[in-house]
Amino acid sequence: MTLLTVSSTNHSFTNISKISTKTLVQMNDVWASYDSKNYVLREITLSIDNGVNYAIVGQSGSGKSTLLKLMNGMMKPSKGQVKINYQTPDTHDKKFKPLMAKIGYIPQSLGLIKNLTVIDNVLIGALPRIGKLKSFFKMFPENEIKEAEKILKLVGLEDKFERKAYMLSGGEKRRVAIARALIQKPELLLADEIVSELDHVTAREIMNLVADAQRTFNLTAVMVHHNMQLALEYANRVAVIKEGQKILEIGVEGDRIVDFQTGNMTQKEIIELYNQ
Amino acid sequence: MNQKNNLIIGIIIAAVVAASYNVGADPAEFVKGIPNLGIIIEEAIQVEPELLGTAFVSMFETIEMAFIGTIVGGAISLPLSMLAARNLNSKYVYGPIRAVLAAIRTLPSILWAILFVIMVGLGPFAGILATIMYTIGFMTKLQYESIEAVDADPVDAVNAIGVSKSQLIRYVVMPESAAHLLSQLLYTFDYNVRHTSIIGLVGAGGIGFYIINYIKFFEYGKAAVFMLVVLATVLVIDWISVKIRDKYIVKTQRGMEVKARIKTS
Ligand SMILES: Nc1ncnc2c1ncn2[C@@H]1O[C@H](COP(=O)(O)OP(=O)(O)OP(=O)(O)O)[C@@H](O)[C@H]1O
Ligand SMILES: [Mg+2]
Repeated sequence: MTLLTVSSTNHSFTNISKISTKTLVQMNDVWASYDSKNYVLREITLSIDNGVNYAIVGQSGSGKSTLLKLMNGMMKPSKGQVKINYQTPDTHDKKFKPLMAKIGYIPQSLGLIKNLTVIDNVLIGALPRIGKLKSFFKMFPENEIKEAEKILKLVGLEDKFERKAYMLSGGEKRRVAIARALIQKPELLLADEIVSELDHVTAREIMNLVADAQRTFNLTAVMVHHNMQLALEYANRVAVIKEGQKILEIGVEGDRIVDFQTGNMTQKEIIELYNQ
Repeated sequence: MNQKNNLIIGIIIAAVVAASYNVGADPAEFVKGIPNLGIIIEEAIQVEPELLGTAFVSMFETIEMAFIGTIVGGAISLPLSMLAARNLNSKYVYGPIRAVLAAIRTLPSILWAILFVIMVGLGPFAGILATIMYTIGFMTKLQYESIEAVDADPVDAVNAIGVSKSQLIRYVVMPESAAHLLSQLLYTFDYNVRHTSIIGLVGAGGIGFYIINYIKFFEYGKAAVFMLVVLATVLVIDWISVKIRDKYIVKTQRGMEVKARIKTS
């Protein structure tokens, strides 16, 4: 945690791109509400370093998806600050568009276009790089098509390029959504429970895929999980959200817990979570 | 409560009777008129068969008018609907567009036809223009409602990638609503064939033009034959469009393509 504060204090004096290799996501006392009455997130403070796999764990309705929507600017905080690469995320803000193209967001519902083919779904991730006229006539440059095919091979869908998205299995759909995010050449990947409904083998396959992509593209990943076990296995950091508050954040290195901050959580509750 | 309902029903019945008296709608006249139907049928049977050729040619003209009107009207409707959809635009855009469309919709097709007959003269061209206007009013409402019904999740997910509005429409809104839009196009064509038959009555071309002229010259038998041709054509088109919708649109929409293939193999 100390490392993060250092990097964010001196950013105004140094080259931004150099600093952006340190902290990518910063949240400061963030409160969020859908109806401006009840807060679904309260006092969220966190920062996520570049290249890290950051897991968010918590019960249903605790506010995990909302946290991701704050990070990509689909939602604005009622109070507090959210910064992605020192910019305030807001999908309605034109100034934020270049950065939106660099954030791969996989919603809980995946957001695939069911009547489009697998490859067209993936190419959607490349649209910000393609002119309006060309994209209107679906004239994708050869290199983008090659890239889409390469990424689809990477996620193990080489034989399903032309399959319509609605004809895919749950695991295959998740791979398409990951491929769509990867073709963005993202700096930040926000993935909302993309392995929760899968069997253990497929879930691990997909988590390994993300881990590989992280290494290859120096990608920062924020992943929401239902399963604490999976989070501990793959993440460098795990934040536990309960009823809209971050009650625990731990650092993981291999099978060791290296850093640990308990808010208002009892020892017993932590153990219960670990046994999940 | 019950008594109140009875009172309301009583008032409605009284109003219908009073209004009928006022406009001179006497049921006795209807009963007296029934034998006239027999005369019309008799005349219709005596109509020379050659006339059927004319009937089909003019019916074909009506279908062509409806076809042009549906395609051109539909093509104009689509961009307007994109601007009228609340999920894609701010209220400063969809508000005025919707107001204009609502104004277009208030005029029934026959009034459009009269307007265009005055503007461009008698004939099918006036009918086509009327059909286009009518289609725009009618179809935009269907279209923007199905655009608004598009699943918000893919729209949000793709929007978060930072694509432009036109890309969002091309890659999310259109594919997600294509089945509906196509089925609406078929439905509107079906509907326009009926309308275009009617607007001929004010001189805007097609089979309606013949019907009104026969009626003017008391040739009820011929008018009846032409009306039967309209009836038969509408039934056939209705049947075909239901088949097309069932086979290609409804099934692909629900992903039943695969199941159907398994069944036949
Ligand atoms: N669009 C919305 N409008 C109003 N309330 C919402 C909306 N989305 C979520 N909420 C509420 O906000 C709270 C947090 O929801 P969120 O989706 O962030 O939970 P979650 O932790 O992702 O749950 P799950 O594990 O079930 O996905 C819940 O109480 C939910 O009812
Ligand atoms: Mg959720």
